[in-house]
Amino acid sequence: MAFRFSNLVEEALLSARALKDYSENIFNPTIRLGVTGLSRAGKTVFITALVHGLSRGGRFPIFESMSAGRIAKARLAPQPDDAVPRFGYEGFLATLMEQRNWPSSTVDISELRLVIDYQRKNGAERTLTLDIVDYPGEWLLDLPLLNKSYERWAAESLALSRQDPRRRVALDWHAHLATLDPNGRENEQETLTAARLFTTYLRDCRNEQFAMSLLPPGRFLMPGNLAGSPALTFAPLDVPIDGTAPERSLWAMMRRRYEAYKDVVVRPFFRDHFARLDRQIVLADALSAFNAGPEALQDLEAALAGILDCFRVGRSSMLSTMFRPRIDRILFAATKADHLHHSSHDRLEAILRKLVERAMQRAEFAGATVDVVALAAVRATREAQVQRGRDRLPSIVGTPIKGEMADGEIFDGETEVATFPGDLPTNLQGLFKGEDTFRGLAAGSHEDADFRFLRFRPPRLDNRDPDGPALPHIRLDRTLQFLIGDKLQ
Amino acid sequence: MTERVPPRRPATFKLTDPSVVLIDSDESSASSSSSAAHATASASSASSSAPPPRARVQLAQEKEPPIVAPKPPASIINPKKGFRWGTLFWSAATGLVTLAFWLWVSKLIEDLFAQSQTLGTVGMVLAVLAGGSLAIIVGREAFGLIRLARIEQLHARAAKVLETDNRAEARAIIRELLKFEHPNPQLARARHTLEKHLDDIIDGADLIRLAERELMTPLDIEARVLISKAAQRVSVVTAISPKALIDVLFVAIAATRLIGQLARLYGGRPGALGMFKLMRQTVSHLAITGGIALGDSVVQSVFGHGLASRLSSKLGEGVLNGMLTARLGLAAIDLTRPLPFNALPRPQLGDLVKDLMKKREKEE
Repeated sequence: MAFRFSNLVEEALLSARALKDYSENIFNPTIRLGVTGLSRAGKTVFITALVHGLSRGGRFPIFESMSAGRIAKARLAPQPDDAVPRFGYEGFLATLMEQRNWPSSTVDISELRLVIDYQRKNGAERTLTLDIVDYPGEWLLDLPLLNKSYERWAAESLALSRQDPRRRVALDWHAHLATLDPNGRENEQETLTAARLFTTYLRDCRNEQFAMSLLPPGRFLMPGNLAGSPALTFAPLDVPIDGTAPERSLWAMMRRRYEAYKDVVVRPFFRDHFARLDRQIVLADALSAFNAGPEALQDLEAALAGILDCFRVGRSSMLSTMFRPRIDRILFAATKADHLHHSSHDRLEAILRKLVERAMQRAEFAGATVDVVALAAVRATREAQVQRGRDRLPSIVGTPIKGEMADGEIFDGETEVATFPGDLPTNLQGLFKGEDTFRGLAAGSHEDADFRFLRFRPPRLDNRDPDGPALPHIRLDRTLQFLIGDKLQ
Repeated sequence: MTERVPPRRPATFKLTDPSVVLIDSDESSASSSSSAAHATASASSASSSAPPPRARVQLAQEKEPPIVAPKPPASIINPKKGFRWGTLFWSAATGLVTLAFWLWVSKLIEDLFAQSQTLGTVGMVLAVLAGGSLAIIVGREAFGLIRLARIEQLHARAAKVLETDNRAEARAIIRELLKFEHPNPQLARARHTLEKHLDDIIDGADLIRLAERELMTPLDIEARVLISKAAQRVSVVTAISPKALIDVLFVAIAATRLIGQLARLYGGRPGALGMFKLMRQTVSHLAITGGIALGDSVVQSVFGHGLASRLSSKLGEGVLNGMLTARLGLAAIDLTRPLPFNALPRPQLGDLVKDLMKKREKEE
């Protein structure tokens, strides 16, 4: 009963908020643009490039309102939500442009308000407020937890961790898990150890060699201000799905904390941020999954499917009733398209389309517009042709990040190289069915891999322009046109 | 399906490697990179005694596959049914007439020479002049027809790219279009902008839309002005003309002029034959699209006519004739515009009628 009641309160809060937003919207049209993606997908760079492009006036031929000159100016405005950190645009931009480094990854939600002064096609002068909400994609993976009991989640997490290649990373944690008795008395120290080992396992899964994506609960990897609190101190136990926990047992304690996690972390995020979005872009780094191997790719698909389940529209779950689908446009972007020659972009798009196929159908059925794009918010490379034997390899030229390796060589971060990263597969059917279609870094050494996507430094910019340099990009204009172009008609 | 082509291995090449030859191809020869100047990098030329290049790095656009012009659709009815006697007859007859004409001219000049040396020379010069100008006229007609055919082809190819999103094809279309619209001074800036974006990574359909927005916007506005001016003129003349025959004549002349203007506006240069072809196509296009547009325009025009005829029957006729001209003009836009309407709105009869009525009201 209590559960129902909290649900009701949730509904009321949501409706109240929606009403407030709506009334504000009449006088001052506002778009809340959600930017998400799994970590390292390039969210920060995307937002930085987007804001810079809009406020400076980038080279956006496809973004109609800007190329037609109807956007008078775009400026940053004070942030509307007092409780949400501001997106540190200036700092990120300086890192990108002056130090030629990629900004460090964000660990928390952040927001930035951009006000666009434009003129409609019929001549009327208008303003559009664009609230850009940046949140880690891992938090989205938490949303399905709202529907899951502790036992169910524990069983799923354990099953996942017993598969290759995760099993190798999870050895320590599994060893400790074997010593725990779920029905024994609750014990803070053991819980702490279990949570620590579990977190380590999640973190190891994420590094470049394995590049796993499906790692809930997301806040374990990015604890933010909740680090060390009980709501983040739990771990899966080997318990039956339909069992009940004995009073004051370890199991009951874990279960309580799991519920607390949902109450303290997941629901507020959902209510305050996710449910209020108008437009959504989901960034995915498919190329590093190719780098790592087929397992990483399948994992990425599972993670994206998990994320997309949150975009579900329908009446099937509690989540969806809470979830008023206001999002009418969703864009899936395969980022870092500049790591490929443009002739491969279509393949990249096809792969991403395949990854999100199910979700696209669902969203389109519900009336939302969905599209897929191969994107590079900041283009770090140029294109070239390399002659090798009788082959002409479509390659890219850029400066690899210091410490990157290829062909047994370690780069110093200053020299430019031309690299051919490998041909993306065209057979999409076998790619996600667990067939051994290609070899990645996770399977062995660098020499064996079928793909090698180096990480490049941000481009050297042309400083002669009086307005400051513009950031080169690939299809950022198309992205903007899709996301906000219709509001600027 | 298990047979898999071994994928090309990833590889990395250092630009500073002395055994690597760096070739910078200039922008203009991007499409024909094979003929790019082999400018050896200074680093490698210094060590000319180095072993032969292991790999060449060429900074160039990828060579595009040759674009095959789409074949015109084969006619459904097989025209080659038996021997074409009609064609033979007309060819033979034309040959005969040409010969007779030639005979007549040569006879005439001979007679003139027999009469006097001067008359003969004058006749000769006149004949040569007539022949030369005839050749030029025929050439121009042929050129005009070819140009019209090319517009049609561009239109069809662009429509296809909008569906297939083929980047190489889109770039080929834009290149051709730029050449095509080259003589139009209004578009100098737009052409320059478009040229700059040609080497960017833009998808095919987006590229076509971009070209449409850049190149067609000023032309569309001009076309609308042309059509509403012609329609207005027709409606005024119809309203004041005393005889129906004059109306009809004037409508025909105005429509022909309008179609010619529109064709020239969008880059075509139809001669007399081209104009004839365009007129025929426009009317048949109107017949086809007229049925489709029944919903909005015909009802409106009949209704509008009724309204106007209540004011005065002559005025009503004028408006109706004006609208007919406007519809002819709109149909002609479809035929003469090298890109299909996609990014920009198609001008509607409603807008033109509004213009027309507004003008009338002002004149009342």
